[in-house]
Amino acid sequence: MAEGSKLGNTQKLVAILFLGLLIGLGAGYALFSGGQLSAGPVESPQPALAEEKVYKIGFTIPLSGELSSVGKLWEKAIYMAVDDLNEEIKAYGLNVRFELVVLDDKTKEEDALKNIQSLNQLGIKVVIGPAASSQVKAVMNYADSNKMVIISPSSTAPTLAIPGDFVFRNTGSDALQAKALASLVSHEGFKNVVVFHRDDEYGRAFADFFKKEFSAIGGKAESMPYATGLSDYASEVAGLSSKVQELGADAVVLISFDTDGANILSHAKDDPVLSNTRWFSSEGIHGASELLQPEMAKFLIKIKFLGTRPVFRENPLYKEFAERFKSETGDYPPVFTDKVYDAVFLAGWSILRAGEYDGEAIKKALPLVAERYYGVSGWCILDENGDRLMQDYAIWGIAQSGTAYEFKDIGSWSAGALTMEAGD
Amino acid sequence: MVGPTELLNTVWIGIIYMIIAIPLTLSYRVTRIINFVHINFITIGAYVGVILFLQGVNSLLLLLPASFLFGAAIAVLNHFIAFSPLEKRGANPVILMIASLGLWIFYKYMIYAILDLGQKVFRTNLFSVIPRATSLPSVSLGNYVLSGHFFAALLVAGVIITILYILLSKTAIGRAIRAVADNPILAEISGIPRERVVSITWALCGGMAAIGGLLWAVFAIATPEVGDALILQIFAVSVIGGLESLLWTGIGAFIISGAENILMSILNATLGVPVSFRPFISFSALLLIILAKPPLGAGGGLPYRFKVGLERFKR
Amino acid sequence: MTLGFDVLGFLISWITLFGTYAIISMSLNLEIGFTGMADFGKVAFYGIGAYLAATITAIIFLVVNGIKCPLHSVEAIVALKKCASKNPLLNIGTFVLCLFVTFFVTGGIGYLISYPTLRVGPAFLGITVLSFGELLRIFMRHFEPTGGTKGLAGIPHPLAWISNPRLRDGIYALVILAIMLLTYLVSERIANSPFGRIMRTVRDDEIASLCLGKHVPRIKASVFFLASGFAGIAGVLLAYYLGSVNPDMFVPAVTFNVWAMVIFGGMGNNKGAIVGSAVITFVDRISFVVNLLFPEAIISPDYIRWMIIGVLILVTLLFKPQGLVPESPMKSPALKIISDELEGDNGA
Repeated sequence: MAEGSKLGNTQKLVAILFLGLLIGLGAGYALFSGGQLSAGPVESPQPALAEEKVYKIGFTIPLSGELSSVGKLWEKAIYMAVDDLNEEIKAYGLNVRFELVVLDDKTKEEDALKNIQSLNQLGIKVVIGPAASSQVKAVMNYADSNKMVIISPSSTAPTLAIPGDFVFRNTGSDALQAKALASLVSHEGFKNVVVFHRDDEYGRAFADFFKKEFSAIGGKAESMPYATGLSDYASEVAGLSSKVQELGADAVVLISFDTDGANILSHAKDDPVLSNTRWFSSEGIHGASELLQPEMAKFLIKIKFLGTRPVFRENPLYKEFAERFKSETGDYPPVFTDKVYDAVFLAGWSILRAGEYDGEAIKKALPLVAERYYGVSGWCILDENGDRLMQDYAIWGIAQSGTAYEFKDIGSWSAGALTMEAGD
Repeated sequence: MVGPTELLNTVWIGIIYMIIAIPLTLSYRVTRIINFVHINFITIGAYVGVILFLQGVNSLLLLLPASFLFGAAIAVLNHFIAFSPLEKRGANPVILMIASLGLWIFYKYMIYAILDLGQKVFRTNLFSVIPRATSLPSVSLGNYVLSGHFFAALLVAGVIITILYILLSKTAIGRAIRAVADNPILAEISGIPRERVVSITWALCGGMAAIGGLLWAVFAIATPEVGDALILQIFAVSVIGGLESLLWTGIGAFIISGAENILMSILNATLGVPVSFRPFISFSALLLIILAKPPLGAGGGLPYRFKVGLERFKR
Repeated sequence: MTLGFDVLGFLISWITLFGTYAIISMSLNLEIGFTGMADFGKVAFYGIGAYLAATITAIIFLVVNGIKCPLHSVEAIVALKKCASKNPLLNIGTFVLCLFVTFFVTGGIGYLISYPTLRVGPAFLGITVLSFGELLRIFMRHFEPTGGTKGLAGIPHPLAWISNPRLRDGIYALVILAIMLLTYLVSERIANSPFGRIMRTVRDDEIASLCLGKHVPRIKASVFFLASGFAGIAGVLLAYYLGSVNPDMFVPAVTFNVWAMVIFGGMGNNKGAIVGSAVITFVDRISFVVNLLFPEAIISPDYIRWMIIGVLILVTLLFKPQGLVPESPMKSPALKIISDELEGDNGA
């Protein structure tokens, strides 16, 4: 084997700089934080005041990977929520502060588990996340064994409705949303639709529920799954176009996330068949900024794009939250952001109600806190499986406002009744 | 069944695959490194386009050179800080592959970090954007609209292929590149400055891949994961070319693209195969081709018909 | 150490991960390090092993307890949870059964896959196995009996009957270490045997070994059998650890992670594979400390964390271009005699 040559001076310098950076970080941390890696009640370094209790809440959210566009905005909502929570607690006169530890789980199952383990090793017993149902399945066992309360704001898989475990989900099941969507489609007068859905647990479960509900009210729905995680869906959209022609369907129901949905719609726009059918959608694509670009928005208004999303639109707290989010970040709150925001509050108040930072106690306290809590996502009461019991849905579309375009809620669905505003 | 949409899709997807796969084949031929940073070239090209687009640059004519420059710069940077020093220390190509893996991780998250900052600056979600930049007008053919960027892509592909062909076969630098690719030691002995040739190759490859990324962003979507999602297909295309022949890489691009669009559509219409099988079709096409016609000859050029030969010998 | 940081828990979770990846790294090292086969599809056998373990365990538990429902349904998950800790013998028995069955099944599949790879030649072996792996993964996404994209969940842990989670995780980590040690001993024995010598000749000069009459295809197939078997065993360990399996967990990115461990640690020797996997899994686990250093920075600390890891890989390779542990000569009896002689001279 060739003898390696000695390191050049530049390379040595670069290497020393990097190592120095790492050592400096480590030393700086050790010097300045003085062992504050612990969670649970800690005395803050101001003995003049009464003891301030600091509790930590952990987060495992997708900051890279397929759901990163949503996770990134959730991160902002999380920081907002923790600040608001701390303010509210002070207003109640309690000398308590909440801090957070946010970890990126790359939308992967193994990383979600690694994050939960790291959080547990830091002594954190309440974790908000992970986002995907498959990730929740990977962390379930560990959470149950180590008595950590997990609150997932966005997992909707029906196979996770398990009673008595440490996993709570404060978002409504898609079974109900499918009913809302089915009644919307039927109300608009369509009986023959194609359901174009993601080929994962979320998409499949939603499509199955939709088909059941839609045929119960006399319609016919054909499902067409598309592979997830691909970079582009032009080929699938072409297939959808052929299928719509073949079945003579008059509407398409889209079950997607934001990135793939935007890509699909951009191709549908250029397709002669699909740009003349009506499109309906689930909540996945709501808030995606691509839909507000002029060409796309015009197209969506032309085909009267309508969707459902789990939000109680009359809720003044939600309206205020959405305004605030938009003014602080420049973006609409993407799906489930309101659930994330409320989850922080649920976690915080449960810790206080439990009286001690113990997983078992917090698990008992959480349903009690949730049943009395009305937040930006509405009434947070949980059912016997620890999942959200009541959920209203809003009907949304794209509307023009001045020279720009916006997402607009134009109706709602609540307890089986659909109400739409006049004019659409 | 197969309609104009499928054909159009085959064309533009094939073009972009070709533009991204040819530099992969070229860089492998010249340096023998399986370069993971190729993924980042694509993403960087896409996002340079996005950021300039958000600043108001709407013309592809301006975006293309910008992407090219950034891609080329990153490729040459890699060469100087990683591949060149490691080669001098006697690292074999596998070590270089892992070094490029480390670089890939670094660049990937650096892009995420930059987009994070960008989100605060531009106040819009940069993690998922479709910059519809264009410089040519659209044409309507009956119900179908051939958008301006479609013609632009055809033009760009034509120009790139022509330039590459002329460069590699007619110019001195092209001959030098091919010489280093075929026999580095002999090339160096006959006076070709290997370092410089390799740097130029990297610049070309990085730039071309970045252009591919930009076109992808304009046609499909730009996300930080766009390179990762494409790379398996691009590798499949390069493998059809045997990681050797640029011509077959180009043909392979259209084979894979055709399989994904036309073949998928046929299977869906006739056999009811769900479209969620699309990646299955691409890899099946790849396997069929390399098993039926192995790029380097049966057994990779090695006398593997061992048993048969032995039997013939015994007879 | 009263930092409030659970050091023991960290060590246990790190060792579990390290052991599993060390087994796959050693199996990849058998292929690339000793035989020169660049296999880019390791994750396929990892996944097959995990799925086999999950399916066999779920079926056995449901059948023994007389429950009839699809493996992937809620009822199955709830039922499995209930009967997970009732019968310790069943848990352990299933675990051992899965290990054996998986070794031979994945080994067999590996042996079969070596046929098409011979056709394309050594340069394209990697991409061929990777394609097969992806085909299998997409197929599993659509295969309903094992849950399709939902996968299986609630797999009973072999030690579920131990109620103390710390003890359970600790013992499982020790079991994994034991299996890793076994893999190491087997690999070392193979590497330092005449067969190991033949493997190295295939790596160094395939044409020469063909000329010398070595049946190279059969050698490659045998190596594939062993290596795939070991990867399958690692998959079994993973399935029990996570308690759930899902086709999207087994993507090519995992293979490249393992490649990094093998190359980083040093090709061509088993110690290198172990060291490589230890270092990379350790850095991976401990790097969340970066998140604590930059709590509310302008950019997410996770991005900084991964940038640092990328740079670390590069810088370490710059210092050690052959990997951390360079290849050592084969421990044959001849070497022993010579080195004893030399030492005897020096000593005397």
